[in-house]
Amino acid sequence: MKKFWALFFWFWPLVALYVCLIAPGNNWWFPSKPLSTMGHQIDGLFYLILIIVTVTFVGTEFALGYALWMGATKEPGRRAWFSHGSHKLEVVWTIVPAFVLVFISLTQLDVLADIRVLARFPESVKEAPVAEVMARQFEWRIRYPKPGTELMTSPQPGDLYFVNEVHVPATVPTMINLRTQDVQHAFFVPRLRVKQDAVPGLIIPVWFEIEEAGEYELLCAELCGWGHYKMKARIIADSPEGVSAYLTRLEREQNEDGVQEAETASVK
Amino acid sequence: MATITPALETHGHEHEHAHGHHEQTFIQKYVFSTDHKVIGIQFLITTLLMLMVGGALALAVRWQLAFPWENMPIVGKLFGVFQGEGGQISPEFYTMLFTMHASVMIFLVIIPVLAGAFGNFLIPLQIGADDMAFPVLNMLSYWFMWPAIFCFGYSFIAGGATAGPANGWTSYPVLSDIASASPSSGEAQTWWLFGLTLVGVSSMMGSVNYMTTIINMRAPGMTLFRMPLTIWSMFITAILQAFALPVLTAAGFMLVFDRLHTLIPTSIHSVFFVPAGLVVNNAAPTVGGGQPLLWQHLFWFYSHPAVYIMLLPAMGMVSDMLACMCRKPVFGYKPMVYSMAAIAGLGFIVWGHHMFTSGMNPALGMTFMTSTMMIALPSAIKVFNWIGTIWDGDIQFNAVFLNCAAFVALFIVGGLSGIFMAAVPVDIYFHDTYFIVAHFHYVLFGATLFGVFAGVQFWFPKMFGRQMHDGVQKVHFVLTFIGMNGTFFPMHLLGIAGMPRRYADPYLHGYLEHLLPMNQFMTISAIIMGFAQFLLLGNFFYSMFYGKKVGRNPWGANGLEWSAPSPPGHGNFDVPPVCYRGPYEYSGPESEALGQDFILQTTAPPAGVKVASAHH
Amino acid sequence: MKSHVAWLKRAGIAGLLSIVVSGCSDNNSSFSISDRTRSLIPEAQTGVSEAPGVVKLLDEKFGDPQTLKAWSKLPVQWGGASAKVEVFAADGADAKVKFVAGEGQTFPEKATFVNVVTGAGAGRTLQLSSWDAATGEAVLTGLGGATLAAGDTCSIDGGAVIQSGRVLYMRHCSHCHGTAGDGNGPTAQYLYPRPRDYRHGVFKFTSTNDMSKVSREDLLRVLRYGIPGTYMPSFLLMKDEELTAIVEYVRFLSMRGEFERKLVNELASDYSEEAVESRLKDEQRADIVGELAKFLAEDVPGVVDGIGAELEESWVAADSDEAKIVPSVPRVPDSEESRRRGRELYLSKTLNCADCHGIDGAGNGPQTVAFEKNPITNVPYDEPGLHDVWDNLNQPRNLHTGIFRGGRRPIDLFCRIHAGIKGSRMPSFKNTPHEDIWHIVNYVLSIPFEPEPGATGVASAPAAPATEAAAPAAGE
Repeated sequence: MKKFWALFFWFWPLVALYVCLIAPGNNWWFPSKPLSTMGHQIDGLFYLILIIVTVTFVGTEFALGYALWMGATKEPGRRAWFSHGSHKLEVVWTIVPAFVLVFISLTQLDVLADIRVLARFPESVKEAPVAEVMARQFEWRIRYPKPGTELMTSPQPGDLYFVNEVHVPATVPTMINLRTQDVQHAFFVPRLRVKQDAVPGLIIPVWFEIEEAGEYELLCAELCGWGHYKMKARIIADSPEGVSAYLTRLEREQNEDGVQEAETASVK
Repeated sequence: MATITPALETHGHEHEHAHGHHEQTFIQKYVFSTDHKVIGIQFLITTLLMLMVGGALALAVRWQLAFPWENMPIVGKLFGVFQGEGGQISPEFYTMLFTMHASVMIFLVIIPVLAGAFGNFLIPLQIGADDMAFPVLNMLSYWFMWPAIFCFGYSFIAGGATAGPANGWTSYPVLSDIASASPSSGEAQTWWLFGLTLVGVSSMMGSVNYMTTIINMRAPGMTLFRMPLTIWSMFITAILQAFALPVLTAAGFMLVFDRLHTLIPTSIHSVFFVPAGLVVNNAAPTVGGGQPLLWQHLFWFYSHPAVYIMLLPAMGMVSDMLACMCRKPVFGYKPMVYSMAAIAGLGFIVWGHHMFTSGMNPALGMTFMTSTMMIALPSAIKVFNWIGTIWDGDIQFNAVFLNCAAFVALFIVGGLSGIFMAAVPVDIYFHDTYFIVAHFHYVLFGATLFGVFAGVQFWFPKMFGRQMHDGVQKVHFVLTFIGMNGTFFPMHLLGIAGMPRRYADPYLHGYLEHLLPMNQFMTISAIIMGFAQFLLLGNFFYSMFYGKKVGRNPWGANGLEWSAPSPPGHGNFDVPPVCYRGPYEYSGPESEALGQDFILQTTAPPAGVKVASAHH
Repeated sequence: MKSHVAWLKRAGIAGLLSIVVSGCSDNNSSFSISDRTRSLIPEAQTGVSEAPGVVKLLDEKFGDPQTLKAWSKLPVQWGGASAKVEVFAADGADAKVKFVAGEGQTFPEKATFVNVVTGAGAGRTLQLSSWDAATGEAVLTGLGGATLAAGDTCSIDGGAVIQSGRVLYMRHCSHCHGTAGDGNGPTAQYLYPRPRDYRHGVFKFTSTNDMSKVSREDLLRVLRYGIPGTYMPSFLLMKDEELTAIVEYVRFLSMRGEFERKLVNELASDYSEEAVESRLKDEQRADIVGELAKFLAEDVPGVVDGIGAELEESWVAADSDEAKIVPSVPRVPDSEESRRRGRELYLSKTLNCADCHGIDGAGNGPQTVAFEKNPITNVPYDEPGLHDVWDNLNQPRNLHTGIFRGGRRPIDLFCRIHAGIKGSRMPSFKNTPHEDIWHIVNYVLSIPFEPEPGATGVASAPAAPATEAAAPAAGE
């Protein structure tokens, strides 16, 4: 019976490992490879930590199981090991993890700065955001500047509006201004590994560079009320020409006057 | 090591004065008792019941995730509201479910069971005192829980059947601040805040009591470094409570003042957390001037130490129990103490790691990241020391030991998953996904709660003079362990897959649709786990009256509490205790001399035994 | 001692199980009955002996959410196609069948089941394990011994669209709009403005003229782009088939609500609780009930048919070209002049926009503080301001926010002015010349960008009094 318990404690970490091993094959893993430049850095850091953590997990769980096994197979009558500890061991298992943790900290400082520090944003991006993404209960309202102008913080005549779909250029560093009309929301694009809370009263610049043209899910990642789960939207990454063409089409649609044959009225 | 002359006389003198022979009524003895043991048991029973409430709420959450928008058992019929929908719950009801699950579990179960139940029961007994420093304050600290339970309970229905508090247990403004922002942000949120404040008052009273008692009322010979790790953990936890709680209370008051005008129309209407110009639900634009991030800083300044409040006592208790069940000293007693102190100290400067994506200054993010990485270190040291404690021990494979071993095994998982989130770029992906949910359930359930299960069985004989049935506890252990891992391990994978938290219907999003079968598996595991707790409750209440009767020290343990009768009478000790040694002298030369593998701390040193000096 | 413990254990377990079992049993959703229906005497609601009352009739024609019924009179795309069996060949447990599409019917691209209508297998639902829409060839399973003969009529995937609509509606819409589309789901009470109650058959934001109902296109538009400034979100990312199915189901619910209203209207004057109470002074209750029974048996079937015809006509017309608003002139180019002309029209006595929308367009005109009377009951509302047909407070829009609930395109604003906003107090200005409407549109679109409220002056040239004449406009 005692051995059963020792084996029990060896068994379940093996199950956990097995589940993790088969996870990517079963699609219980990242939704896709990272498709933004910062996404690669994030995934790289994740895998580095995963390796370190897996080694630690296997080591400690095995040691724990072994300690149980020792107890289970002890000769009856033999005393427990009367020890209050080992100074040497304490030093070793303080210094080694400390080094590992410091190493992980230092590795990521650069990545963090690249993502968050305004001074490190790519030059091209700092010029002007391509769109303002205004989160609200329970959808995403997008405002593009009139083609040929820069996005201003307040709406301008000629600004183009849409909902739940953001068109941005691919393979070009892109920035959007994230705002919210009411409560906190968060701009989460899983396949780009981008996430940023939208805070009432603040305009937060979020930059990313999407590597491949395509559609990317956008969802809310900060509880914003009962419709938190309904904020389903998408980012469509296209060539810069494609985005231009889209904005031209959007402008035309936004100025529709219901008279099919007539020329679209232009806004001065 | 100097010998200390036991001051028998003074202690006995106090004993006579403090306890005159007055008849106690039933109310005085069992209801409004000032006896720490009764108060501890009151806390224990209350929190065990609250555990079932919190668990039921969790099962409802799991049901929705496994069978979205289908008839929810019991709930679908309980409120007339959902009849027309065929028992399908509404989204705001779901937000209430996870909010109240967390609120009940954190404030009405884990914090009170560790500090209130075990802290209260064990502290005087383990340090050799006859009661707490402030017995009446102690009684009040328990009785403040009931108004808190009333406030939380009333908040479920305050605004309407489906308007219970629903803004997360983290209650971020502006959602929780402006009445129009969510159905629960009317009355319910205010009652929730009242409940929170009252729980805080209860905790604060307890904290003052514990610190004073531990510092001032130790038995002769009980130096700080002869205290069991349980006491160290309770002491450090009490310090955490004392320093962190006022900040939460202040933040809570600020939020109440922001909201009071919804309850009492002509009263205060501050805007601490509300910026100007927001239009929510077509209400009038907000007057503003406040900062939503301020709440996050204030809240997490308390709530991060709170998670250590919810962990450290269990760590201390597990150390005690492992030493006893392995019949050997704790490996590295002083490193264990210093680690707990380090966890507590560092715990005050890591709160920002809950806010990495919040929009705070990235420079702050870097500092919090560093301190968060460092806090993994003392936890790791403790894990190694626990393994060292078990190593080559004479292990008693009872349910107490199994639950403690599970504590260590599952804490390893919880601690390691924390490292991912300490790395800010990785946290950007994992924040508000199920990865976080996995992490904290492993530390709170896998670690703390298994520690509680072990502690309940371990100290049950001292509480009631009877033993819980070990076989039933083993079955409970196996079912809970399997159920718990079945429920929470896949959450790591869900987090990696990018499934956000707090979603009533994640399958709306195409990239998450394929995760439904996994969620169904998790729900079934959760149901098994939930129903297994009835075994614990049944065993607990049955054994209280019909369990096998035992003597003072059924486990052969060393602590001062095992020298008292089971259960201890008024004043705890029939022989005033004197402490002669550390708490974990199992299987050492002194116990050998007595022909056993343990020796109580209160046993006078056997003649002719050389004790190794300075063995810390 | 032990025995009562054992009893406790048993009782406890039994108690637990009973809660679980009673809580876990089947729970079906149901269409709510309107308050107006409930104001009738019970016999009118349920019926008298053989003759069905309102509730029974509703169930007959529309069913309940679990078993929807398709009243063929209603212009709803139920889904699927009717067909006749041409060839039937048994193949072991399965059967190979060739169908021919019914008159004017096209086979659905995908199909999974067949409802047998006539013949030996009438009433059965059979599964299709394969289906070829081009040739009408299929393999049927689940026959259980049933056979089909050539000439049997079937419905391929009959009701698939409306069923799919129901499932989608229950998942996405019912918690606000209610199972019956009564705008009173569990979440509704917390929302301002409240979700639409479809049962009046009235929808606010349409592209159809003021006498017509909402078109399918309009409903799709609302689903796709949401209603900005309210809790009606955009469902842009739903597939087109899903949106179409939801639109059909919403129309179905709306028609059901209208049917209920119209039927109750026929009965209310004589058979409401109030009416019967006053009648009881002169008549016996038994006589009134007898009269009701006769009415229900003899006249009501005709009434029901009449309502069905009305519904058919109005809903079909809404999708026709005649109903759609098409401006006779393209939008006047946006200019300083045009905006000033628009402001002049805004302030004019004939159009009187300022009365509701305020002198500067801030939505604070005198009407917003006046006590309006309910047009049906003639009783003043409790709160000052304008109300809508659902009796909710519905104040005029503040035009400074730049939020236009029905859409911000020029044509959207044109439609709001031309047809008004149905159900609300925004009236129709269909007799205003289209050019003038465009001037107003230009002005309204410029209001959010005025340097200060009211900064737009009036037109420099004196206005020709053309606004008085009723100009015949094309496309009305």
